[in-house]
Amino acid sequence: MKMKRMVTLAMLTGVSLILFIIELRIPNLLPIPGVKLGLANIVTVYAVFRYRPQETALMVTARILLGAMFSGNLSALIYSACGAFCCLVGMLLLRKILPEKQIWLCSVIGAMFHNFGQICAAVCVMGSLSVAAYLPILLVTGSIAGVLTGLTAQLLLQKLRKSGADIA
Amino acid sequence: MTKTRKLLYLAVGAVLVTAAVLSVIVLRHSDRVLVEIVQDGTVIQTLDLRSAADQEIRIESPDGSSYNIVSVQNGTVAVREAGCPDQTCVHMGALKTDHLPIVCLPNRLIVRFAEES
Repeated sequence: MKMKRMVTLAMLTGVSLILFIIELRIPNLLPIPGVKLGLANIVTVYAVFRYRPQETALMVTARILLGAMFSGNLSALIYSACGAFCCLVGMLLLRKILPEKQIWLCSVIGAMFHNFGQICAAVCVMGSLSVAAYLPILLVTGSIAGVLTGLTAQLLLQKLRKSGADIA
Repeated sequence: MTKTRKLLYLAVGAVLVTAAVLSVIVLRHSDRVLVEIVQDGTVIQTLDLRSAADQEIRIESPDGSSYNIVSVQNGTVAVREAGCPDQTCVHMGALKTDHLPIVCLPNRLIVRFAEES
């Protein structure tokens, strides 16, 4: 990997971590386990469309490990890791068939994959199917959040390209 | 390519509508009275809300590093205190619905309604 690319990826990881930590400060509107705004995913979606799959995966892994450390919630790591992995695989596949105008759709489906992975992990860890009842609610809220983060990433990509500040 | 995209839209729409309908079903209030406290997949305590006295039950997490305090008050059950940073189970308030249990993911604790046997 070239030095410049590595630095850019590190910067992106930093940006997503900052978003992650800002989000921790925002009180949760719905007190339901697993419901999140997912601001850090703006960066993930952007990276999926702008960088190579391995590079994006590397960035997301770093974000998740460091995020768990910074938030002090290490026990939630397995849920977010499973969710993020499913989400990433889904979005990387979709990237091939979706144009840049439809990044938001990619983000919505990514969010759904994320929720699915999360619930699978929760069912396995808790040893009980009853947590699966959260899936429908997570899917609805996740999709709404997914549209917002996806649109943000889409706008970001277009603006950065126009201004010539797109770094990759 | 447009055909694949159309299919995608349809799939996403279908999943969302199903999820919305299921959410409404899942959020309906319960009339059950038996409550189970489940840790790591095993039922550790059962309460009958009709007869249970107001009480607080302290439950240590499986690895002993954290805890939850489940409180029973006026025939409702809630998690009053948790030793984890996210406090989601505390914010969820009292247990109200059949299908949506109070869940503490970090401590692998579930508080849910049980069917009468």
